[in-house]
Amino acid sequence: MNALILSAVWGIILMFCSILVKNKKAIGYIAAFGLLTILIGNIAETYGTQITHYNIYPMLLLDRFGLFFNTIAILSVFIFVLLSLIEIRKTGKYEPEFYTLIFFVICGITILTSYQNLLMLFLGIEILSIPLYILTGSDKKNLKSNEASLKYFLMGAFSTGIMLLGIALIYGGTGTFNLQPGTHSVVGTYHGISFLEITGLIILMCAMAFKASVAPFHFWAPDVYDGAPTPVTSFMATIVKVTAFLAFFKLCEVRVTDTLTAVNWKMIFAVMIVATLFIGNITAIFQQSVKRMLAYSSIAQAGFMMYAIFSLNDVAKEGLLYYAMAYSLATIGLFATMSKIKDYSFEGYNGLAKKQPTLAATNAIFLLSLSGIPLTAGFFAKYYMLASVIKTGSYTWLVIVGVCFATISIYYYFRLIQAMYFKTGNPDTIDHEITPFFKNMLIVVAVFIVLLGAFPQLLLNWFYF
Amino acid sequence: MNALVLCIPLLPFLGFLLVGLLRNKLSRPLIGIIASGVIGIAFILTLVIFFTHYYPANAITYFDFIKNSKYDISFSFQVDQLSTLFMLIITGVGFLIHVYSTSYMHDETPAHYARYFSYLNLFVFSMLLLVLGANYVIMFLGWEGVGICSYLLIGYWFKNNQYNYAARKAFVMNRIGDVGFLLAIFWLLARLGSVDYSIVFSNASALSTTDVTGITILLFVGAIGKSAQIPLYTWLPDAMAGPTPVSALIHAATMVTAGIYMIARSNVLYSLSPVSMDIVAVIGVATALLAASIALFQNDIKKVLAYSTVSQLGFMFVALGVGAYTTGVFHVMTHAFFKALLFLGAGSVIHAMGGEQDITKMGGLRKKIPITYWTFLIAVLAISGFPFTSGFISKDEILLAAYSHSKPLFWLTAFAAVLTAFYMFRVFMLVFLGGFRGNDEQQHHLHESPPAMTIPLIILAILAAIGGFVQLPELFGGHDYFNQFLAPVVPALSHEGENLATKEYALLGGTIVGLIIIFLFCKKWFAVNQFEGKYTGFKNVLAHKWYMDELYDAIIVNPFNNIAGFLKSIVEKSGIDGIVNGVGRFIQYSSRQVRLIQSGLVGNYILIMVLSITVLFMVFWNQDLIIAFLQKIF
Repeated sequence: MNALILSAVWGIILMFCSILVKNKKAIGYIAAFGLLTILIGNIAETYGTQITHYNIYPMLLLDRFGLFFNTIAILSVFIFVLLSLIEIRKTGKYEPEFYTLIFFVICGITILTSYQNLLMLFLGIEILSIPLYILTGSDKKNLKSNEASLKYFLMGAFSTGIMLLGIALIYGGTGTFNLQPGTHSVVGTYHGISFLEITGLIILMCAMAFKASVAPFHFWAPDVYDGAPTPVTSFMATIVKVTAFLAFFKLCEVRVTDTLTAVNWKMIFAVMIVATLFIGNITAIFQQSVKRMLAYSSIAQAGFMMYAIFSLNDVAKEGLLYYAMAYSLATIGLFATMSKIKDYSFEGYNGLAKKQPTLAATNAIFLLSLSGIPLTAGFFAKYYMLASVIKTGSYTWLVIVGVCFATISIYYYFRLIQAMYFKTGNPDTIDHEITPFFKNMLIVVAVFIVLLGAFPQLLLNWFYF
Repeated sequence: MNALVLCIPLLPFLGFLLVGLLRNKLSRPLIGIIASGVIGIAFILTLVIFFTHYYPANAITYFDFIKNSKYDISFSFQVDQLSTLFMLIITGVGFLIHVYSTSYMHDETPAHYARYFSYLNLFVFSMLLLVLGANYVIMFLGWEGVGICSYLLIGYWFKNNQYNYAARKAFVMNRIGDVGFLLAIFWLLARLGSVDYSIVFSNASALSTTDVTGITILLFVGAIGKSAQIPLYTWLPDAMAGPTPVSALIHAATMVTAGIYMIARSNVLYSLSPVSMDIVAVIGVATALLAASIALFQNDIKKVLAYSTVSQLGFMFVALGVGAYTTGVFHVMTHAFFKALLFLGAGSVIHAMGGEQDITKMGGLRKKIPITYWTFLIAVLAISGFPFTSGFISKDEILLAAYSHSKPLFWLTAFAAVLTAFYMFRVFMLVFLGGFRGNDEQQHHLHESPPAMTIPLIILAILAAIGGFVQLPELFGGHDYFNQFLAPVVPALSHEGENLATKEYALLGGTIVGLIIIFLFCKKWFAVNQFEGKYTGFKNVLAHKWYMDELYDAIIVNPFNNIAGFLKSIVEKSGIDGIVNGVGRFIQYSSRQVRLIQSGLVGNYILIMVLSITVLFMVFWNQDLIIAFLQKIF
């Protein structure tokens, strides 16, 4: 509850800041401080200290898994804010409101990591999404940003409709909104489970797949990611996406394994995984803009995170946490660097290593991590995902498919490394914005990725204390 | 004391690191002092072990090397009489050769000079590891280490491609042997679950005959490669491409005797397998004869010595094969003295001749380089078995052991010994006696080598002359010190019940008569200048080394090259490259097509999403059919 309360409070504080605080530069630091308090509050709760005690059980349940994920998410937001201070100030005129919306998104995240009721799931998804519609359009004067915002809203509304339809059907089938299934109706059953519930679940899954940008519901992602201001893209493609995955995982963990064992759900997931990996990786190859390439790369990475939902075992659970960390950090770093470069195309990166060696080196580490090269966090992230499938004992071919697509992904990730290091050019960087603080933050993130890659137990041991 | 033992191999390794890493910083004298110094200290430490009789019953374990649920292979050293003897040879002779090298390699630039010494130090480190290891895995580590050092040093003058090919040949041939060694290690692990000497030897009797024979033959395959026996001997003569001190240290005194060390070490296993013993003896005598016959008509001084080494190694294997393990090891020691001396002497001759190696262009060097002349003469007498030199004592023991094993083996070995004396006298006479046959410039250049080269020659000459007395036959007042020294580790061949005195007198007489005949014969034979034309008939076959290299080329190397060429130009170019590039092109093509789905129209997106939901429903409800269908296809 700490994080939920604190983030709502800080959202409101930031709203008032727009009137009360005259020094524009201070706002970013106030927000960063706010995030720090939320982070501390959440860690404190992990160890048993709460601000208030409400009986929220049937609606929310704060288990260690959720709390631990909160920590990862808030930490990622913290790093994201520190890396994007200048960009956020530049995006439109309403900097305090920008942070307010981010705090509300964190509110949504904390609900999604602890929901025990399908209505709370819906509420969380909406609290998460609605600020994002606004954020996507935060660059008001930019036509692309407006277009992206409208597209996102239209398609988001459509998926919300689907989601409600699914929840309603599940209610019809089981007579309860609880995540833990109630009594099944006796008429019209398949393997003892109501048809309505199955239909509802499939539809609900499609809606969740939409939020997590899993093919074939990914269409909004490239256009929105491309059009949104770079900091917003970074935020959406990382923290928001992995949260959607976590909510998805929580749903399937209860509904798919425990109650519907007689029904084989694997096939539907396998189709989604292959489609996502295929579309994400194959389309990324041909992109000329790094931003769009990263948009497709985020779809491809979503394909890998789907493996956790496919296998639904302990390895998958650990792996999802690990993947969230590894993927978010690397992508945030890449987007932060990109916002310092005026030309987003691959040519714009030519010769970056000569001009900005720190940026090039850290970005190379991020890209290596995303492509899953050993000694970076990305390797173990992928390893856990594939290992979870192997542990289920069947569908080994899905692992082979995953490895093949991981190989293909190396092509477009390394293309950027090649541009930075082996091509000559004079990249158009915004030099006065590349402060020593920014560089040091990038180095910290890169070191963290390598540490996680070298000692994967670092993170997971903490999860188990 | 255990730390002291660890220091012995570590010192040369330290020298390797120092000299190798600082090769651009250090001056030449400093490099020489460091590199020779570490070996010198290692020699002194070995002497400490030798004189304090520090031979712990159990292996000294330093740390776990490979440990898992099934095997526990530790990094441990076995200090006993056998390893101490080899350590004395390696560090002692090694030190002399290091000192000799400081002068011999003086024309190199400091960086290359340092490279040479760092390789040499690394070699000594690996060789010490080989003999000190308390299990076969550590031995294998050293075994591979000396292999790579040998490769690096043969190809030391890497700008000459011929030398690089020689280095490669040595490496590949050694690797063939190594496969045998490795398989033997695996076999031991599979059967006994351990490669520690103590465990293997105490449980050896539990092995079946097939296992013991297989393991020992595979070990011997390793020895064949490292010690240059038939059929893997052709690399050693080519290895003469390396600097002469390298030939002395690696390709005469130490590395090539690793095979003998290995078999002497594994004597418990070999004694259980008469078949393997016979194979060792037969290969040994065949190699001894073949190499000696080739050495008769070689004109390159180092080539003659190389074939002589191959032949002498054959003698050692004969000794091992008939069960006279200590005799084999004894010949390793005496051979280390006189063959290192011969090589260093040859180096001194080459040095004096300004790089000339062809003995037909030498002659009459006796007066010009007296120290080299006298020491070389002692070495020639020793290797030819002149009475009471070290070579006489060790070789006579081999012949005696062969005689008590089988008569034909004895006669063949004895014949090889006669050939040895013959080709050595030929070299000696052509180099030092008669008139000078080189050009004027060379004659003008002739000079005795500096003390750094001649002092090691003198020390080795003393050892070659009297080093054999530790194992003087009782008949002449000896006490078998050598055999008694090694007795705790390696059993000696028992000659009980045989009439030794008669045989030894016969051998002594035979040797003296033979040497006189050979000397006279040689003198007459080499009096006429017979180097104008080419060799004919059988001599020609011998001069061409029985056409062995040509044979190997024809049946192995060329077919292999042809297959490689076929794979390279046909299979890879059109096959694999085509597939790889094809896959890439296909992915690029599909990328271009798939991209088009992303049309940018929200209406289209939502339509596809709705259709997808429908498809997912169909997939879900018909998954049994789909799975059955897929199973039918794959």
